[in-house]
Amino acid sequence: MSGSGGPPGPAVHQFVPALIPRDATGSHTLLLRQALRAAGWRSEIFAEATHDELAGQSIPVERYAELAEPGDVLIYQFSTSSMVADLLAERTEPLVLDYHNVTGPEHYLPWEPATARRAADALAQLRQLAPRAVLGLADSPFNQADLVAAGCRRTAVVPVLVDYDRMTEPPDPRVAGRLAARRSAGGADWLFVGRLVPSKGQHELVKALWAYRRLYDPEARLHLVGSAPSKRYLAALRAFIADLGLARAVRVAGEVSDASLAAHFQAADVYVSLSVHEGFGVPLLEAMAAGVPVVARAHGAVAGTVGPAGLLLGADDTPVTVAAAVHRIRSDPALAGHLLAAGYRRVAEHSLDRSARAAVEALAPVAGPPPAGTQAVTGIGRPGPGPLTVAGGLR
Amino acid sequence: MSSITEGEAVADGGEDATAADLVAEAEARAYLAQVMADIDEEVRRRRASGDLPARVERELDSLFLQFSPVAGRSGNMAEVLRMVDASAYIDPVVPVGSAKSGGAVVKKGVRQLSLWYMSWITAQVGQFAASVTRALHLLDEEVTELARRVEDQRVPSAPVIERPGVHGPTSWWAADVPGLVAHAPGRVLHAACGDGWLVRTLAAAGLDAYGTDPRGDRVERAETDGTDLRDEPLLGHLEATASASLGAIVVSGLIEAMAPGERDRLLDLIDDRLAPGGTLVVHSLSLKAWGADDVPPEVDLAPGRPLRPQTWSHLLEARGYGVTLVPGPDGADYLVVAMAGAGVPAVR
Repeated sequence: MSGSGGPPGPAVHQFVPALIPRDATGSHTLLLRQALRAAGWRSEIFAEATHDELAGQSIPVERYAELAEPGDVLIYQFSTSSMVADLLAERTEPLVLDYHNVTGPEHYLPWEPATARRAADALAQLRQLAPRAVLGLADSPFNQADLVAAGCRRTAVVPVLVDYDRMTEPPDPRVAGRLAARRSAGGADWLFVGRLVPSKGQHELVKALWAYRRLYDPEARLHLVGSAPSKRYLAALRAFIADLGLARAVRVAGEVSDASLAAHFQAADVYVSLSVHEGFGVPLLEAMAAGVPVVARAHGAVAGTVGPAGLLLGADDTPVTVAAAVHRIRSDPALAGHLLAAGYRRVAEHSLDRSARAAVEALAPVAGPPPAGTQAVTGIGRPGPGPLTVAGGLR
Repeated sequence: MSSITEGEAVADGGEDATAADLVAEAEARAYLAQVMADIDEEVRRRRASGDLPARVERELDSLFLQFSPVAGRSGNMAEVLRMVDASAYIDPVVPVGSAKSGGAVVKKGVRQLSLWYMSWITAQVGQFAASVTRALHLLDEEVTELARRVEDQRVPSAPVIERPGVHGPTSWWAADVPGLVAHAPGRVLHAACGDGWLVRTLAAAGLDAYGTDPRGDRVERAETDGTDLRDEPLLGHLEATASASLGAIVVSGLIEAMAPGERDRLLDLIDDRLAPGGTLVVHSLSLKAWGADDVPPEVDLAPGRPLRPQTWSHLLEARGYGVTLVPGPDGADYLVVAMAGAGVPAVR
């Protein structure tokens, strides 16, 4: 497969169940490919399914068998159950698991039994692959513990690759206009970004907003951004919102473009996360990058991701505590300023260049020294649609 | 930034952090800890003012549960069966809508070509699903009949028995309880707490105390000063509580009226929920008081009767507690003080 995205030499290829735009794993995969190529390795993405927007960015996973070359190192972007895991279990190339966490089946069970089953399958696949992996990469120490428990003998923590500069780019003007019109009525804007599933705790946010409006700010609003894979949870959430009389105060925005997301972040007064399960929590850092102070319950990897750059609540803190925390930020400019400054530092610690270099350094003992050196891994940007030139493939 | 480890997990070290960075981070954490302490104080102040009683937050939880799926905590079998019935029919006529131009035409063509095959498969799957749902309905009828028969034999839950002078702030034992649980390794629970008289006494002694009581009206009336009182039966509350999470449990007016099975279940839960070194305090009427004329009518309706104090010693010592018995002044009641882990509680 010489000529696949770089000069002849060692190859570090990635495998992913689904390559999806505006998805943390999908974006990470594309950015990591850029970093691997910048380091001098040849690198392609093999996907079971690819979103139309990213057509041409990947090779069907079934084609790897005919394109494989001696010396290949394979990275599996692990976040869900997939036939890709079965395929990789049968390969003999050195395997690196890049683990982005699996939300446990217990978080889905009352709501989405089929999803719970898939989550259980994913964990079984993790236990199958982990002992055979030569290296496990984890977004956070929280995820690293999962890898070790699954039997991974060698692990490293490498933050997920994210271009946080997107949050300060020009927002979608129409969305920004709509949000500004709502803000003109007064009241704070709360924001949360994440899939609408029970474990993300959007219903807890609604409770906290209700308490906040009653105690401090009757005009406050909550914006929920993210796809809604659980129709049952969405229906329950909407009914709950209506029953509390919050239909005009809570806006379920759904999945949005990068420009719309930037508009939401730039219009937010506070980012509140009451999720009970996070393997890393990219939006927490996106909020910091956008200059939005963070309030979050310390579940999963949240405390490690936020560090001293946000108000961390106890796992069982009630809606009143959440409301009081938001009020404190809103009424204490010194605190808000402190959190913003700490947030910018936190984002700098997780900058794309820095994380990309960390990934290349972590892979070097497995794939050999990067031909171009780790210092070449700079200036990684948003993934472009660059054409694939796979000799013998993609003809 | 990354750190590779063999066999064990270590956190991302951030090896390029300087000593000054570490000092600054420690100061930032201390500042945020102070902010969080201020927020906790604000929450306490808000609760005490009655702006948003704890009861209202619990109502929010209950309200959301009403909207959770039938498989959730609020589910019932009839509703689940209705869902199963509705999903047992499998439609072989696949929708053909498409956002792409020409997509619907292509899909319609594929559907027409494959309908004979899909119909054959779905007919068999549908037949299987119908058989399963029929079996579930038969099972439901059997279980419903069994439940009716069990209900006829049902032992009622123990009522709360309160006797003036014996239960309340002027009782002989009320002043002793704060001292008995002073070194509790965690929160102190009082069940059945009534209007919270003992919880307030414990809180005044600097203890982190709360109460439960199955009589919702009593709790609601008493909760206005921000005291943490919960309208919950003791067994239900303990089932939802984490292991080893309570420093002490004080039970009064409740355990003497319990049926043996309910009492055993309660003691099993207490064994698990008390932290090591925790204290159990049981206040019970005596058998003599149980037969007196001035006891409330609930006594006649109770499924159980009081144990003798030495029977409590026997029961709790067998479970590994160190037990001290404290008889009341007129033989109408007594106190059992038991320490988890076989320590002997200090009693004046």
